[in-house]
Amino acid sequence: MVSLLQEIDTEHEDMVHHAALDFYGLLLATCSSDGSVRIFHSRKNNKALAELKGHQGPVWQVAWAHPKFGNILASCSYDRKVIVWKSTTPRDWSKLYEYSNHDSSVNSVDFAPSEYGLVLACASSDGSISVLTCNTEYGSWDAKKIPNAHTIGVNAISWCPAQAPDPAFDQRVTSRSTAVKRLVSGGCDNLVKIWREDNDRWVEEQRLEAHSDWVRDVAWAPSIGLPRSQIATASQDRHVIVWTSNADLTQWSYNVLHTFDDAVWSISWSTTGNILAVTGGDNNVTLWKENTEGQWIRINYESGTAIQSKQPSSHHPHSQHPQQQQPTQQQLQQAPSHPGPSSDSEHSSNLSNSNLSNSQLSN
Amino acid sequence: MPPTETLRPGERGGSATGGSGAAISGGPEHTYIIRQSNKSYEHRDSQATAMSVDYSGQWVLLAGRGHLALQRLGQDDGTLRRHERQSKYEVSVAEFAICPSRKEYCAIATSQHIDIVRWGTAEPCYENSLRGHTRTVTDIDWHGKDPNLLVSCSIDTFSHIWDLREPRKPALSLNAVCMSGATQVGFNRVSGHLLAAAHDGDLRIWDIRKGSCPTHYITAHLNRVHGINWSHKRETCLATASQDGTVKYFDVCNPRRAEKIITTMSPVWRARYTPIGNGLVSIVVPHLGRGENSLLLWSNSKQTDPICSFVGHTDVILDFAWRPNRETTTEIELVTWSRDRTLRVWKIDDNMLNLCEPSAEEEEPRFEPDLSELRAPTPPEFLHPRSTMTAASLPISTGDGASNTLPMARSPSFGYYRREEPHIARSLTDQPTCSLHHEFSLLNTNMPHVEVDMLDAIKRYACFKISAGGHTVILQVTFATSYPSPSAPPEFQLCQGTTLSSDVSGILLKVLRCNALQRVKKSRTCLEQCLRALVAAMKKKIAAVGGGGGADRSQLLLQSPRLEGALSSALHDACIPYPRTSGVHFNAIGLLTTFSQPVNKRLTLRQHSALTPRTLSSINGSCLLGNVMATAQRDANASFYLQERMIAGKPGKQRAIRQMNGSPVVHVYDASNLLHINRSMAREFSLDKLDIAKTCRRNGEICRNHGRSDLVPVWLLAELIATPQVQHDPFKKSLLESLIMHYAMSGDIQTAVLLACLFDKCPASGGSSMDVVGRLPLQLNSQISPYHTVLPLEAKPSSSHNTWQQLKQLRSNSWSDSLDLEVRHLPYDGYTCSLIRRAKVPLFDQFKRAYAEILFGWQLLSKRALILKHTQNPPPTVQGVEFVTECGSCAKPKRTPKCEPCKRPVLFCVLCRLPVRGAANACLACGHGGHIDHMMQWFENHKVCATCGCSCLERTSSLLALLS
Repeated sequence: MVSLLQEIDTEHEDMVHHAALDFYGLLLATCSSDGSVRIFHSRKNNKALAELKGHQGPVWQVAWAHPKFGNILASCSYDRKVIVWKSTTPRDWSKLYEYSNHDSSVNSVDFAPSEYGLVLACASSDGSISVLTCNTEYGSWDAKKIPNAHTIGVNAISWCPAQAPDPAFDQRVTSRSTAVKRLVSGGCDNLVKIWREDNDRWVEEQRLEAHSDWVRDVAWAPSIGLPRSQIATASQDRHVIVWTSNADLTQWSYNVLHTFDDAVWSISWSTTGNILAVTGGDNNVTLWKENTEGQWIRINYESGTAIQSKQPSSHHPHSQHPQQQQPTQQQLQQAPSHPGPSSDSEHSSNLSNSNLSNSQLSN
Repeated sequence: MPPTETLRPGERGGSATGGSGAAISGGPEHTYIIRQSNKSYEHRDSQATAMSVDYSGQWVLLAGRGHLALQRLGQDDGTLRRHERQSKYEVSVAEFAICPSRKEYCAIATSQHIDIVRWGTAEPCYENSLRGHTRTVTDIDWHGKDPNLLVSCSIDTFSHIWDLREPRKPALSLNAVCMSGATQVGFNRVSGHLLAAAHDGDLRIWDIRKGSCPTHYITAHLNRVHGINWSHKRETCLATASQDGTVKYFDVCNPRRAEKIITTMSPVWRARYTPIGNGLVSIVVPHLGRGENSLLLWSNSKQTDPICSFVGHTDVILDFAWRPNRETTTEIELVTWSRDRTLRVWKIDDNMLNLCEPSAEEEEPRFEPDLSELRAPTPPEFLHPRSTMTAASLPISTGDGASNTLPMARSPSFGYYRREEPHIARSLTDQPTCSLHHEFSLLNTNMPHVEVDMLDAIKRYACFKISAGGHTVILQVTFATSYPSPSAPPEFQLCQGTTLSSDVSGILLKVLRCNALQRVKKSRTCLEQCLRALVAAMKKKIAAVGGGGGADRSQLLLQSPRLEGALSSALHDACIPYPRTSGVHFNAIGLLTTFSQPVNKRLTLRQHSALTPRTLSSINGSCLLGNVMATAQRDANASFYLQERMIAGKPGKQRAIRQMNGSPVVHVYDASNLLHINRSMAREFSLDKLDIAKTCRRNGEICRNHGRSDLVPVWLLAELIATPQVQHDPFKKSLLESLIMHYAMSGDIQTAVLLACLFDKCPASGGSSMDVVGRLPLQLNSQISPYHTVLPLEAKPSSSHNTWQQLKQLRSNSWSDSLDLEVRHLPYDGYTCSLIRRAKVPLFDQFKRAYAEILFGWQLLSKRALILKHTQNPPPTVQGVEFVTECGSCAKPKRTPKCEPCKRPVLFCVLCRLPVRGAANACLACGHGGHIDHMMQWFENHKVCATCGCSCLERTSSLLALLS
């Protein structure tokens, strides 16, 4: 089901901390402790197309902007700086903007949904969050800071997908007036916080408490329009928690996805919002999918089928782990004579054209 | 050993009229009691570094690296209950719980962990291990009221509050975002809500009900704080002991200034209030281990000289504790543990406690009404003059020859002056200014490294000889007549005999002037301050020049971490999460990027747990970490984690790492099959609505060809739904909707959207659309310019129309929100024959837009536009971009792709959504257009507009014909 397209030797001189493909999947950006960001062609294992030097410390994360703004990449580093890069050709990059108004390492950057324009959020260990808005017409940047967002430090940040106004109620209101910008952040105070922009100010809207250690990553699930929101959070306490809310984002309930063997620090949602990729201190990459009963099951990369989770999570009273595995997809597939809406058969087709082995993925 | 008590005769300041000779002779000037211990236990083989007395006062715990031992105090067998323990770390603190319900418990801090030990009848039982700190724990304190709470502080700058009912993690973490680690911590003894933590010379006061930031900052001392003790009676009062040789009394409500100061010559290790009475006991650490290792009992109302000195220990006293006497509340005992490995017990009797009470002599008659209050355990604040800092009168100080030049010292006016002081102090809220005579008289002539050569108050100059770090400085200070006024700092000169190079001298002089200016600005005396600063600067300078003279340098490091960039960065890193060694990232079209790299095990200190550490500082945490900010020009090839951090700096090492691990590899996977989206299927799928049943069959075939045979039945079903024979089946609508919803819920957005589009509105019944189109341009031309993208008519080659309200907000999918068209048509609802209920349309439109974004990522622009044609509501508009030929800001029609004065493009392609700079083409009827090649691509296969239902080719050609 998951096929390896390309293996790219980054030739970074030190640890790589983040790698991200652009919107089209053509360019790969990697960042490393050697202080550089490298750009690769995602389908050719060639040398780096470009090496972006500008940081004086480890670069923690990179983020691509929506292509309608051009080829724009943001990087954040231990050296307290955020740099926004722009390219004319994939080999030719220049600094578009440099933001150095943080007092400590900047740990995470994320571009807002393109509907809001070119907006970047940065999370720093000085405890604050910066929201940088680019006026694309004039090329000027405006910074807004949320001070003391998390005591000790903010480790991760993610934008809420642009919410279209609910047309059932309000057909005429332009999206401009109803598009409420929201952010989710996770920090060293073990909290996950949801922020809402309210008349040019950012206010704390929700405070999600469940983790017992530093929150290392947060990811707001992309929305395909269903009236619900999901946020995944990963923490040093080895839990990945999926928070679910209805459309109005007022009531959040949570579900412990799994208790891992080591701290979890990187999570990512698929664009359809139904697959979650997780990795952490044990360096294993796992993929998770929510079944129709709302349980999270681990999927096998090759077949796309569920894997019995290694351990039913025992630490958490609220966890709802699949105590029994749901019938495998193959069994259902053998009798797909008349798949009504209740059938599960479409979940997978056992098409394994992959040259990927489990060990490759989970090193 | 019976207690011996002597009263040493001496001269009190007031009585030594003219008899300065006696004061000079070397004896202590004041009367105080010398006490020897009532009891002593010797434990030659004990290497205990921490001591604590339990709640009952019966047991003393001595904790060291190799053992824990209990000594019973009541019965005099003198034997120890010893229990071996295995640890390679020293015990940094041990504290018995102070609540009766937990009296068997004690907390022992070793390295980064705190063990909770319960003393049963036989063996000590390890109950819990509190793990949370990343660096050495430096202090522990139990809560006075809640037996479950305890606080610990550490070099990692955190103070954690632990609840023993939930020992796995701290109940509350207090982070002083600062460069220096916490060295001392203490719970308030009265309320229990307040907590003080010492960071270097500063105090932070926290309210544990509000843990996000400290309630007060107190810049308490110039040097490290060694001891914090809250008053047992007054909630907001605490006393601190510091390396700078002072004990200060603070009221946290007034954090700007110490209430009272005890000045001694040597660093003060501990200062604690007596649990009863009005006293305070301090441990003074003599310089270089020479001098008396004594405890001093002070009265809280008199800082000039101690009440009592407890002598007997022959080495540094490590710690002391109160032994509560549960029978009588008037008697207490003091238990001390010293490096001479003796445990001594001292009795503090009524006599001494009475002496601690404010003496009647110091009370002014005018304070008479307050006398009852004065007798209270804690005297009111105003009674205590801020005794000048320089009024050091340490019992062990010995006057030297220099005092001969002090004819005024301890003059009769002294007593008078002291009596006046409270008034001045209260009115100025600062230390009173005083004459040069007075400053000289109060100068501590026994400062280390400083010899006083000359003090001449009449000629207004002074001379000092300072020797530190192997160099000598002869310093001459001249005072202006107006000194000490804020504008007249003394002048400093380095005279002959100075053994320093001129540039170092210059720096030292600068230090002196800075310090002097700071002090005189506040109308304070500055001489002693300047001398101390000079000594410190000399030590530092010379150590730096001489490449770090070993011990001196390390001492500096420990005393003031904030001076040292490297160390402070290590502390700073404690807030930064541990770097990721692996990562995942999905992009917008379902490509998954992963990488993971085995971490060099040597990087991390993993001896305690298999878990990945939390903070960056744990990488090589035992060493000083490199400071990136300080070494901006670090070698680009150096590994941040090895070379830099281990300070090993061997070239070629980095190559070795790479050989060992290989350079990091990133894998790019195509996970789109997991997401049930497929690019080639998307390209092939048909949305031909002329014969939906046939289209369904074709799409089913496409699915089969691409191995999605699980979807074939769905298309079969769709074909059935589309078959006209079963058109009026009542289940059709709900079946279709459930199908779409099901696929959307399970993430197969591709199938859901295709179904939704295909059955969006009823199939074309041929016909009259062309007529409508034909009628419109006249209206259009009258109102809008050709480039407007507002949709003038129904977006299908069918004749189905909407109500005019719907039509009015039917916008194209390119960015337009500028126009409302008044188009009135016959009300005709296209949904009456649609299989999708109107209520579901907005939701399905969202699906379509999400899918369109994926198609955009695949760069299937035509397909994307096709899908978007089936949406009703416009996608969210982009701020600041409007597609009109008039420039949005100046409203002038533009022929160029960009409005020059406003610096914005005016034309966007309806297919790729990018601004058109080069060749563009647009329909003259509907105004939609874009890049010429995109238009070509579109109209190769289509007849109608990519956005609306306008048949652009025909209309444009007819319009052109008309124009010509």
